[in-house]
Amino acid sequence: MDTNNLLVCYPGQRLSLCDKVYNSGQGTYERQGYIYSNLAGLVDVVEKDGIKIIEVHSPGVQTIVPAQGDIVTAQVSIITQQFCKCYIKCIGDKVLSRHFRAILRREDIRATEKDKIDIYRSFRPGDIILARVLPITEAHTYQLSTAENELGVVIAHSEHGHPMVPISWTEMQCTKTYAKEPRKVAKVIPESVHEDFIVRLAGNVSEN
Amino acid sequence: MPIDHKRINPPEDAVPYKLFTKLNTKSSQEQYQQILDKNQIRKDGRHASEHRKIYMKTGVIAHAKGSAYIEQGQTKIVASVFDPREIPNRLDYCLKGEVYCDFKFAPFSCPKRRLHQQDSQEKEYSSIMKKALEAAICRHEFPNFQVDVYVLVLHNAGSALSAAITAAGAALASAGIPMFDIITSSTLAIQGKDVLLDPDFEEETLSEIAIEKEHGIIVISVLATHDQISHFHQVGNLPLNVVSDSIDILHKSCKEIVPLVQKCVIRSVLAGISET
Amino acid sequence: MAESFRVLHPIKYYRDYIASNVRPDGRGLHKFRPVLVNIGSIQTADGSALAKVGDTTVICGIKAELCTPKPECAREGFLIPNVELPPLCSPKFRPGPPSDEAQVASQLLANIVKNSKCINLQELCLFPEKLAWCLFADIICISYDGSLMDACIIALMAALKSVQLPVVDYDPAADSRLVNEEEKKSLNIKSVPICSTFSIFDEKVVLYDPTDEEESLCSSTFNIVVREDQLSSVHKPGGAPISDEKLFECIKVSKERASTICKLIETAIHENNT
Repeated sequence: MDTNNLLVCYPGQRLSLCDKVYNSGQGTYERQGYIYSNLAGLVDVVEKDGIKIIEVHSPGVQTIVPAQGDIVTAQVSIITQQFCKCYIKCIGDKVLSRHFRAILRREDIRATEKDKIDIYRSFRPGDIILARVLPITEAHTYQLSTAENELGVVIAHSEHGHPMVPISWTEMQCTKTYAKEPRKVAKVIPESVHEDFIVRLAGNVSEN
Repeated sequence: MPIDHKRINPPEDAVPYKLFTKLNTKSSQEQYQQILDKNQIRKDGRHASEHRKIYMKTGVIAHAKGSAYIEQGQTKIVASVFDPREIPNRLDYCLKGEVYCDFKFAPFSCPKRRLHQQDSQEKEYSSIMKKALEAAICRHEFPNFQVDVYVLVLHNAGSALSAAITAAGAALASAGIPMFDIITSSTLAIQGKDVLLDPDFEEETLSEIAIEKEHGIIVISVLATHDQISHFHQVGNLPLNVVSDSIDILHKSCKEIVPLVQKCVIRSVLAGISET
Repeated sequence: MAESFRVLHPIKYYRDYIASNVRPDGRGLHKFRPVLVNIGSIQTADGSALAKVGDTTVICGIKAELCTPKPECAREGFLIPNVELPPLCSPKFRPGPPSDEAQVASQLLANIVKNSKCINLQELCLFPEKLAWCLFADIICISYDGSLMDACIIALMAALKSVQLPVVDYDPAADSRLVNEEEKKSLNIKSVPICSTFSIFDEKVVLYDPTDEEESLCSSTFNIVVREDQLSSVHKPGGAPISDEKLFECIKVSKERASTICKLIETAIHENNT
């Protein structure tokens, strides 16, 4: 990347006047009619309907936290009769360097026949799942839901530790022993359309 | 003292050998008189109002989100910052994020050996640092989360607290934690009419003792762009007019450090870009 | 995409790399990371050294104090090595008492120092039953990225080599001690043990000088300590088994590495003295 034409700023640097044309965006704050940066990073001006929004982005992994409606990738750690505990590892396609704790309750595993759900027939510890973040009610734990066709287990290993492939939306098969194990499987999406999928899911949220 | 079962324990009666050197018969007053000569020049050749040279570098710790190393004269400090994480054992929701500070002297960093456990001075410095940094961090940007700031002093040659705050500020900025401003800090030691900027270890210890009636140490940290003082800490016995004069000196000195921190932060941004 | 794969399926990620004989950091499987030694940067300590192995940075400071010897070994002084893994060095560690890993590292280091007889504790005794030196060797990890023991031992040995102790006059009749700080002498270091860390991935591939991530994914990690072309100790706490040939090969490589690192420490000492 050409480093000569980049606008680099430090926290507290005055970027511009705050008026009808220039507005304060992500990574900036406004004080006494001026826009200041609150990050060390690159200045970016986004034009939208004649308004210029000034944004600052820091390089490297961004500091982000899960929000309601986000599609997250999580790893199941503990399962009980009522809920399973997971660690959120990615939000959308952004990798987190610190994992967040989350809970997936039994009734949020699938949309139909909610009273017949058994957690151990849906997830096992170590499974990687796709899930959606529910509205935050309790402080501290994120609640997840997999009650959509595209959500559920994406990577799992059989009891003997070999990778498994999905054979239906409720079952996966071990590649080595051919043993079948029950799972709440996510609808398989080829990797090439993965990003469109994330965009589409994000679109669903705004329509709702 | 209870035995620490988690470390290898030394014999209980170990004493520093400095106690048995040829007895230092000078009183603290005599020692103090040697610190400054008639032309206001100190032992190390600095003028009384001269700050030591600072060397600073970010990105010294591989797995930290942001880190900084500072060398202020002989004082050497590392600071590291980690990603926001959930606050352990808290049930209520808080609108503003928390800052956790941990200040530690390495056992070999001072003339006298320090213990592994955090002592009261380290606890005090941790809480001062927390207060100073809280004002600079946009805590509303990460509600219900905690940012960890760790500081380790490798060699304490005076003014460790202010150097630690400056380093922690640079580490926070390089970690991409939202901040209102760059934070810098400076120390002033006063004994009678002598005012020493950025004191070394000996000057610092001697200013804490009442040789003259007026004596003391002042540490402030400054947010330079908005001309705000984020924290002020003073020990000793000083009249009001001396304090207000001192703040002016310190404020000026803090502002002089800012360009250095800015350069350092920008260098870390450029390094981050060339990596990706 | 690669980054999320690395987080979600680390074993598979590594397997793919190792299948083509390269590691994610660009090293070959049998490559060590560069080593850097710096001596005498901490003036408040009686001896100090900083060692870097790749991204693992360790600093060792030695402070000497006077004490009475233990009744059971009345003619011996003390060397107390303690490894600290503060939360500063990696997000893995939390504030509080030393983690298990730190305790294991301290004990392992103490054993290596004792077994390799790198320093004669009797020389640390000033007067039998009355007065001896106690050397506090505090080893603090500043940046943690695997192969901790390698860095700890290099830092400790380099720091021991840089120690300058004052001369003590002891009068047993009056129990009076006088320390002469103007006259200093260095310690007599008999040998320099050097440690090399290896990991076994997928029960068959041996990775030299593993990073933190590699150590956590591998089924077993072991250390080989070599001292002047002699095998000093092998520490392999359980995990996947290893064949004889592979172990002998590792020992051979450790010996070669030890002699280069010894030279490096010598050069650092020499540069510090001039």
